[in-house]
Amino acid sequence: MRRVRVPVVLALAAAAVIYAQVVSSYWLHIAIVSMIYGILAASWALLAGYAGQFSFGHMAFASLGGYTSALLVQWTHLPIPLGMASGTVVCAVLGSLIGWVCLRMRGPYLAIFTLAFAEIVRIILLTEYAVTNGPAGLRVPHLLGTPAKLPYYYIALGLLAVCLVTMSALAHSRWGFFFRAIREDEEAAAASGVHVVRAKMYAFAAASSFAGLAGAFYAHYIGILTPELGSPDQMGLVVAMAILGGIESLPAAVGGAAGVETLQEALRSAGAWRFVLFGVLLLVTMRFFRNGLLQPAWQRLMHAGASEGKVT
Amino acid sequence: MDYALVQAANGLVLGIIFAVIAVGLTLVFAVLKIVNFAHGELYMMGGYFAYYAIELLGLSPFPALAAAIAASFLLAALLERTLLTPLYSETTERKAEYGILITFGLSVALRNLALIVFGPFPLRPPSFVAGVQQWGPLILTNDRLVAGGVGLLVLMAVVYIMSRTAAGHALDAVSQSRESAAIVGIDPRLAYTLGFGLGGALAGAAGALMGPIFSLSPSMGILPDTQAFVIVILGGMGSVPGSIVAGILIGLLESLFTAFFPDPTRALSYSNAFGVLILMVILILRPTGLLGRRHMQME
Amino acid sequence: MTDSPVPDETLIRADAVHKRFGGITAVDGVVFAARRGELVGLIGPNGSGKTTLVNLLTGHLAPDSGEIFLGGRQVTHLPAYRRARYGVGRTFQMSQLFRRMTVLENMLVPGLTFPHLSREVIAARARAHLRFLGLNHLETLPARSLSGGQQKLLELGRALMLDPTLLLLDEPFAGVHPTLRDGIIERILQLHASGRTFLIVDHDIEAIQQLATRLVVMARGRVIADGSPADVRGNRAVLAAYAGT
Repeated sequence: MRRVRVPVVLALAAAAVIYAQVVSSYWLHIAIVSMIYGILAASWALLAGYAGQFSFGHMAFASLGGYTSALLVQWTHLPIPLGMASGTVVCAVLGSLIGWVCLRMRGPYLAIFTLAFAEIVRIILLTEYAVTNGPAGLRVPHLLGTPAKLPYYYIALGLLAVCLVTMSALAHSRWGFFFRAIREDEEAAAASGVHVVRAKMYAFAAASSFAGLAGAFYAHYIGILTPELGSPDQMGLVVAMAILGGIESLPAAVGGAAGVETLQEALRSAGAWRFVLFGVLLLVTMRFFRNGLLQPAWQRLMHAGASEGKVT
Repeated sequence: MDYALVQAANGLVLGIIFAVIAVGLTLVFAVLKIVNFAHGELYMMGGYFAYYAIELLGLSPFPALAAAIAASFLLAALLERTLLTPLYSETTERKAEYGILITFGLSVALRNLALIVFGPFPLRPPSFVAGVQQWGPLILTNDRLVAGGVGLLVLMAVVYIMSRTAAGHALDAVSQSRESAAIVGIDPRLAYTLGFGLGGALAGAAGALMGPIFSLSPSMGILPDTQAFVIVILGGMGSVPGSIVAGILIGLLESLFTAFFPDPTRALSYSNAFGVLILMVILILRPTGLLGRRHMQME
Repeated sequence: MTDSPVPDETLIRADAVHKRFGGITAVDGVVFAARRGELVGLIGPNGSGKTTLVNLLTGHLAPDSGEIFLGGRQVTHLPAYRRARYGVGRTFQMSQLFRRMTVLENMLVPGLTFPHLSREVIAARARAHLRFLGLNHLETLPARSLSGGQQKLLELGRALMLDPTLLLLDEPFAGVHPTLRDGIIERILQLHASGRTFLIVDHDIEAIQQLATRLVVMARGRVIADGSPADVRGNRAVLAAYAGT
C-alpha cells in the first residue's frame, strides 16, 4: 500500500489555490474542464488499468449522468445538487447492470459491447429530440447563480479531490488487489478465491458513477448538453488522456487529462488537427511507452527514498 | 407490399456490402487475433480514395474502384507494419488490450485526419452507372445493382483466395496456429501484413461501392463498423462463411425493420440501433459469440 | 485429536460428468472420487482429458451433464471462486501467475479474500509460506522474472494461502529443472504428511511414482484404470492406451 506523501499533496493544493488567484477567467475555465476530464480519465483508469475492463461505454455514462440531472431538474425543479446526485446514482445502478451483463465477456467482446451500448445511448438521445432537444443541445440550468468562474473552480477541485480520494481508497483496498489480479489473470484470480463477479460489478459501478458525476457537473457548469458528449471521439479523448498519463496510476491519469486539455486549448487554432495529434500521441505512447508518459515520473515522486513494492 | 419488396431488394444489396465489410473484419480477427476498431475508417478511406481517383486522377468509376481497393490494401499494410508489429513479438504482454487500444486510437486519428483533409461536408462521387432498373413494382438504382454485383464478386474472390491459393492457405494456417505455420515455413509476419491488408482492401472496396449511394463523410465508418461487429459476432469470429450469411441476413432484417417500423421519422435512426441491439442481446446470451471458430486466447 | 479411526471421507467427487468442445468429447462419463489423505496421481496420454477433468472439479468449466460434489455438498454449478473458498486449491498446467505483481502480492491476493484477517497477519502468513517454499528472498520481484520452477512453486504457495484441504496440481513438474523438481516433490510430501489431500496431474511418471499411492489413468476422456501403482503398471488397457498414442 503506497503512502501518499503529504508534502507533495500540500504543495499541489497550494499551487491550485495560487493558480486560482493568479490566472484569468479563461484559464480558470480550462482548469475546470481539465478537472472534469481528470475525473473521467481517472475513473476509466480504475476500470481499465486496474480491473482490466476496457469499456468504451464510459462517456455514455457521463452523458447519461448529465441528461438525467438536467431533465430531472427541469421536470421536478429538484435542487441541482440533488439532480447531480441522482445522475450519479442512476449511473451507479446502470453501471453495475452493464458490469453484470458483461461478466463473461472477454476483452474484445467487452469493448465491442460497451461501444455498442454507447452508440445506442447516443442514438436514442439524438432521436428523441422532443425530450432532449437532440443535436441542437439541451439547455441546462447553471449550478450557481453567478457567472464567475472562481466558485466553479473550487467546486471542481473539491469534486476531483473527493473522487480521487475515494478511488484511491478503493484501489489500495483489498478490492484494488482483486481488480489487479483480475486484470492479470481472471482464471487464476478465481482459483485464488477472488469473488470475480462482485469485483467486476464494483469496478463498473464505481467508474460509472464517477463518470456520471463528472458529466452532471459538466452539464450544470457549461449550461448546455449534447449527445456528442458520449461520442466515440470523446471516448477516444478520455482514453488518450488516461493512456498518455498512465492507466495504472490514478494521479497520472489526472495529469494526462490536464496535459491533454491544456494542449487542446493551446492548439485551439489548429482545429481538428488536435484530435489527430491526440490520436497520434495515443498511438505513439501505446507503441513505445506502454506505461504512459507521466506514470514513471509520478512513481519516482511518490517513492523517493522508499523501496519499491514494500507492503506494510 | 411493393414498398416492402423494394426494401427487401435494397436490404439484399446492403447485406452483401455488410458481408464484404464483415469478412474483412473477421479475417483480421482470424489471422491477427485482434478486433480492428479502425475497420470502419478503412471503409471510409476506400470511399475517399475512389472519389479522389476520379476527381484528381481523372479515372472513370470502375478503374477508380480498383485503385481504391489497391490503395486501401496498401494503407492497411502500412498501418500494420508501423503499429501492429508488437502483436507477434514474444515480449509484448496483454496483446488483446494492445490491439483494442491501438486500433481504437487509430480510428480516432484517421477519422479526424479525414475531417481535416477532406472537410466535414458530404461528398458524392459520380455514379458507376447512371439510371435505374425497373421490374414491375421493383425499382433499383444501377448503383445499388453494381454494389450488390461487385460485392458478390468480391466475396467470391475472397472465398477463392482463402480456399484455392497458397496465400489463402497460409492465412488459414496462421489463423489456426502461428507456431505450426512457422514450422511449416510460412512467415507469420508476412501473413499478418497480408491478412490486415486484405481486410483493409475489403473494407475499402465496400466504401468505394457505397460512395455513390450514400455519399462520403469522415464519420461514415462508425455505423458500418458497429454493424460489422454485429455480423462478425453473429456469424462467429473468424468464420468467413458465417460473416457472409450473417451479413446478408442483417442487411435484409434492417431494411425490413425500416419498412415496418410504425414511426417513419424515427425509423432510420432506430434501424441502425436495431442491429446494435441484436448485438447486445447476442453477447448477453452467448458471451463468446454464436457459431464459427472458438475464440483463441492471444497468450 | 482422538484415537478413534478417521472415517473414510470423500473430499471431492465427480459423478458421470461429460464435457464436449465442439465435436470433441473431452470428458466422457467420468466417475472419480478423492478421499481425505490420499495422494492421487492422474496420468494418461496427451489429450486424454486430465486438465478438463481438473477444470470441472475446480469449477473453471461447467459439465454438460453429471454432478460434482465437495465433501457431500453438490457444487456442480458453483463458480470457481466459491469452491476455492471451500478449500479447493489448484495450480495450472502453464503457470498463471499475476505476472506483473510481486511474489508477495501474488500471495496476498488469496489471503485478502479472508475478510476478517488483517493485512499484517496475511502478510506474515504469506512470508511463512514463502520461506517454506524457499522463495522468500524473491519477495519483491515481479512474478514474471522468476524461473519456471520458481513460478510453479509460487503457484503452489498461492494455492496454500487458501488453507486448502484439497490441492489439485496440474503438471507441477513440467519444464522444471531436476533439482528444483526434487524440491517440489519434497514439499508436496511434507504438505501431504501434515494432512492435505492431493490430486496431481503429470506426465513425469518418475515423480508421480515417488509420490502417489493411487493412480488414476485416463484415455480419450475416460478413466481406464484406478488403483495402486503396481496394479496400474501391469494393466493391459493402460499399456494399450499409451502405445496407441
